[in-house]
Amino acid sequence: MPCGEYFTSYEGRMGLLRWRIQRVAFLLALPIPLLAPFVLSGSLVSTVTLIFIFVVAVLGLHVMLSYAGEIVLAQGAFMAIGAYTTARMVNELGAGMIPSMLVAGLLTGLIAAIFGLPAWRVKGFYIAISTLALQFIAVQFFFTREEFAPIHGGTQQSMPQEIGLVGDFLAIESALQQYFFALGVMAVFVILTMNLSRTGIGRMFRALHENDLSAEVLGINRFRNKLLAYAIGGFMVGVAGSLYAMYIGFIDPGFYGIDITLLHYVMLLLGGMGRVWGVILGVGSVELLQHYLLDFLTDTFPDATALEPFVFGIILIFVLILEPKGLMAALGQVKEYLRKWPYAY
Amino acid sequence: MVEAGGLFSALVTGIGIGALYALVAIGFSLIYKITGVLNFAQGQFALLGAFLVVVLSTSLPFWFVEVQIPVYAAVVVTILIGALLGVLLERLVFRHFIGEPVLSVIIVTLAFVGIIEGGSRFFISAQYRAYPQELQPGWSLSLPLDTELQAPFVLGVALALLTVAALMAFFRYTVLGSILRASASDQQAAMVLGVSIERTIVIAWALSIAITSIGGILLAMSSGGVGYTIADVTILVFAAVVFGGLDSIPGAFIGGIVVGVLRQFGVYMGEFLMPGLDSVFPMVFLLVVIMLMPYGLFGTERIERL
Repeated sequence: MPCGEYFTSYEGRMGLLRWRIQRVAFLLALPIPLLAPFVLSGSLVSTVTLIFIFVVAVLGLHVMLSYAGEIVLAQGAFMAIGAYTTARMVNELGAGMIPSMLVAGLLTGLIAAIFGLPAWRVKGFYIAISTLALQFIAVQFFFTREEFAPIHGGTQQSMPQEIGLVGDFLAIESALQQYFFALGVMAVFVILTMNLSRTGIGRMFRALHENDLSAEVLGINRFRNKLLAYAIGGFMVGVAGSLYAMYIGFIDPGFYGIDITLLHYVMLLLGGMGRVWGVILGVGSVELLQHYLLDFLTDTFPDATALEPFVFGIILIFVLILEPKGLMAALGQVKEYLRKWPYAY
Repeated sequence: MVEAGGLFSALVTGIGIGALYALVAIGFSLIYKITGVLNFAQGQFALLGAFLVVVLSTSLPFWFVEVQIPVYAAVVVTILIGALLGVLLERLVFRHFIGEPVLSVIIVTLAFVGIIEGGSRFFISAQYRAYPQELQPGWSLSLPLDTELQAPFVLGVALALLTVAALMAFFRYTVLGSILRASASDQQAAMVLGVSIERTIVIAWALSIAITSIGGILLAMSSGGVGYTIADVTILVFAAVVFGGLDSIPGAFIGGIVVGVLRQFGVYMGEFLMPGLDSVFPMVFLLVVIMLMPYGLFGTERIERL
């Protein structure tokens, strides 16, 4: 690691992989996710697939919350919209996974922008609670009532065992194929999100996040850009909902309650807000911790499924007491220590 | 058909239920006013209070410990434990988060959702538990137009009014109250004047959780026992508090009553139109209020400057 920054061009400064050590690390790490499913056990592969799916969902939240600063509590509703759209596209039109995923994302983005309409007048915690109310109406009322079946196509639906990528071609059927599909989608969205923060749109979001009044004075349209953030974030969460439907193979309004929203907040904030790597770290550590915790607890106590949220909550509080800004900040401190090691200069 | 009697009885029951929501909502807005934390676990604290009464007064064990004391003593002890829990929480957990991002503290309250629900499922009981006979009073208050208000609701209205009045008087007339108000309006200025922020936050948590447990006990009494649906009150409390303005205690009270009435109207209208309206009515109302009055009825409007 160099002790100063020697960038000679803007491209070099803004690059995603800036130093030689990062390029080497990237090349060395690249085969790991590709080879991992052949080494890991079946249940662990399934957990990692879920991590990939949730990374996409939390990236959507990340765009809305850490870039644009909008506390959106409607993660479950967005995923539900994505999931039900996918189920209809796949079951009734036979459209295949990729087209239905895109349509699900676009529709969710549109509805997310509608969810964002209260941002016209309110912000902060009030926006949090208005999106929570919309989440409640969408999931507890709209998706649970059979009267609306002509729109959402039935409250409980199952997905086919085999889903083609486009139409019936290249069917995804095994857990391994689901793993690679989720990995690919996640990679696309990780790169998209990283690039979004480097574009003008990303900078406008950040300006609104820091101080929306001064951003407006600088000529940024506050309302339009906030709605744009909702639409982009909603698109990602909708795609994740679509993948989640494929992963579980069954959709039920119960999956999309407030719990999943809160879980995604825990993931984002445990990882550390503001960095894409923080999202990946947060989702990964929460899911793996829950996986091993449940294994461990069910081995030790026979009926301990209720104990899992209990222990998880206590661990979460300990981690946050030690490092309130999240795991990414903790890693940053380790890095800083190692950089100066053994002699701080 | 819509008739005056049914509508009036819906109104009365709504006020009764609303008073119970109001108690939990007061606990919520007390925390928000003084510490700026949105407590997502408010419903779970109500649940814990409701469960503690059963644990203390019947043979239901807490893990292996079995306590059995008279019912009314159990209620008092529960409220005291609530206050003590507030103190402990602040000492052990929330003290570490002074000056840290508010979102981190919110995640801690989310962790408490899991801790309390999972903990009470494992250590106490995963099922609905009926309340002892003494806490299921049979009497009710007769009102005109053939309507009656059940005993828990009467108690709820009385206690909620009492709590609001006591808190208002406390904030207005006592030194401690004005210290709390001072640290709520500007923490740094209050610290400069020698106010211990730690102590005010401890008091806020203790009061909040004690009041919330009262609300939880009454909610359980109104349904004859304690079940996990009590925790769902959180979302209604949000609606109530936003309507009244997040940081206003009389606002929380009025908001609670309004949400209760709307819910009861939803139940009533649901019989004619479509069941399930009771959960939607308060939410739609909440959205309308937010659009019309972004700071609620009595909330402080933040005036921004560059």
